[in-house]
Amino acid sequence: MYEYRIEVKDLNTWFGEKHVLKNITCYFEDNSVTAIMGPSGCGKSTLLRSINRLNDLIPGFRLTGQIFFAGSNIYDPDRNVYELRKRIGMVFQRPNPFPMSIRENLTFGPRLHGIKDEDELERIVEDSLRKAALWDEVRDQLDSPAVHLSGGQQQRLCIARALSVDPPVLLMDEPVSALDPISAGKIEDLIVQLKKEYTIILVTHNVQQAFRVSDQAAFLYMGELVEFDKTKRIAVAPEDPRTEAFITGRIG
Amino acid sequence: MVMPTIRETLAAWSRQISERYESLSMRLRRLKDPAHVDLAGRIGLFIPATTAILIIVLILTFLWYESMPILTSDVGGPAIFLEPTWDPNRDLFGIGVFIAGSLVCTGIALGVALPVGIGAAIFLSEFCPSHLRDVLRMIIEMMAAVPSIVYGLWAYTVMVPWIRDSVYPAVSSNPLLAWVPFLQGPTNGYSALAGGLILAIMLLPTVVSVSDDALRSVPRSLREASLALGASESETALKVVLRAALPGVGAAIVLSLGRAVGETMAVLMVTGNSLTIPYSLFDPCYVMTSIITNQLGYAFVFPLWRSALFAVALVLMLMSICFTAIAKVLIWRGTRIGAVV
Ligand SMILES: Nc1ncnc2c1ncn2[C@@H]1O[C@H](COP(=O)(O)OP(=O)(O)OP(=O)(O)O)[C@@H](O)[C@H]1O
Ligand SMILES: [Mg+2]
Repeated sequence: MYEYRIEVKDLNTWFGEKHVLKNITCYFEDNSVTAIMGPSGCGKSTLLRSINRLNDLIPGFRLTGQIFFAGSNIYDPDRNVYELRKRIGMVFQRPNPFPMSIRENLTFGPRLHGIKDEDELERIVEDSLRKAALWDEVRDQLDSPAVHLSGGQQQRLCIARALSVDPPVLLMDEPVSALDPISAGKIEDLIVQLKKEYTIILVTHNVQQAFRVSDQAAFLYMGELVEFDKTKRIAVAPEDPRTEAFITGRIG
Repeated sequence: MVMPTIRETLAAWSRQISERYESLSMRLRRLKDPAHVDLAGRIGLFIPATTAILIIVLILTFLWYESMPILTSDVGGPAIFLEPTWDPNRDLFGIGVFIAGSLVCTGIALGVALPVGIGAAIFLSEFCPSHLRDVLRMIIEMMAAVPSIVYGLWAYTVMVPWIRDSVYPAVSSNPLLAWVPFLQGPTNGYSALAGGLILAIMLLPTVVSVSDDALRSVPRSLREASLALGASESETALKVVLRAALPGVGAAIVLSLGRAVGETMAVLMVTGNSLTIPYSLFDPCYVMTSIITNQLGYAFVFPLWRSALFAVALVLMLMSICFTAIAKVLIWRGTRIGAVV
């Protein structure tokens, strides 16, 4: 019994007239990393942002099909979107810390969801920073502006911010593509650490990275789910010629 | 010989001009030490920047010079800034009454214009569908183009009677409000409230369009970060977007402060211009700009009278400068943590 397993069933999405995702069916297991790969524009971000309903706000976006999270369809009309988004954290491609202090970046989410006790907030700040492997670097400057951190630190702060509301699922949309190789390496290590506690869905352009960190992999091509299996298997023997072409660098 | 057409002549001219400009900039670029070029640029920009300061200093000096007679005379002196009685015939030049009038009107104006204007800007940038937004922005920008005398006439014919016949009766017959000290009557409609409200209406376009621009320049990624944490759209607007846009919204506040203190015509027509300190919103008052406009024409009768009017202008100027500085400091403190705008 997977408590937080996410299941996508017959998902189709449109931006206006443009049919972006076509009949996607897949699932994401607990305490594992699923990589979503594919060439630019194939719909990776769209799939990811359908899982926390962030696409809802885009004018002209339309969706059919279902996404089950912990057993219930997140697109049920009476589903509380804010509660859902609290439980499905997200990290974006470019670091986007709030223009506030480091501490405030981390207390923002908990405060929204009603945590007022200062000691409790203090504990959350430290916990999230530790989980994001940032505590030692910023413990003495919690009140300084978050935007003064380096790009890699900012991205780890964004991961800490996502963890601050204690979501069981973490969506990551190319979280290292805007960073230097060393910062990227740190965040990859972090992802491997985090999967012990979280269900992670990682969108990435980078095949090697997907192979290094993921347990399962999905390959999207022009809005279709071409291949979806254990990463090990895909890495060794891709079934579809398009997957093979992408892995070997002939498309992408 | 064929006469060149006008178009050809123009084209030739523009080619010549651009060639000349290009050769100059290319030559500057090829200089041994390009830093000199930049130095030239810096000096070139230094001059206009200092000009602005110079103009302010000149105006202050001039006001100071003109108000010296009253500030040094026996009947006047620095105490006039606090004295509430203005009667040049009896050598009473208390300009405190005008300072009080201006402060009350400005306070009412900002108290109304800032919440309404910033609220409207949040609606426009965060919640309004974009085609409706364009129309609303255009209407709001048109509001800014209405001459203040027209606002004054409208306030004179519509707002003053409305305050007299509807607002005041409603307030005074309401048992909860009738006791509030600053809501006492009676009133004929000409009041600090009327002045403050018409000022607020005049400030709105600035507040709305400057704040709206600031809010819209906040990157989408910040909004998404907040929503992804489970914040609602309105929580995102207030706690993330407005906060990130604070410096720009602050600029709107500073601009409107300056305008509110300095506005003349519309206020003059509806405040009742009575030489008393307003203790209630429904009391008439007299603002600084009004006394200067009304009395400068015949103030030459006594030199001190004229000088006292310049002292009013000096206060006006200093008040504007102080308000701007205070607003800037507050904004700076509010955004020390770093904002994106
Ligand atoms: N807000 C939007 N409005 C309209 N069309 C959109 C929008 N966002 C994405 N699309 C379209 O949907 C398709 C898939 O976009 P998506 O962002 O999911 O691609 P992606 O796989 O994440 O690409 P990348 O690797 O470049 O991030 C694209 O063709 C894009 O044009
Ligand atoms: Mg993408």
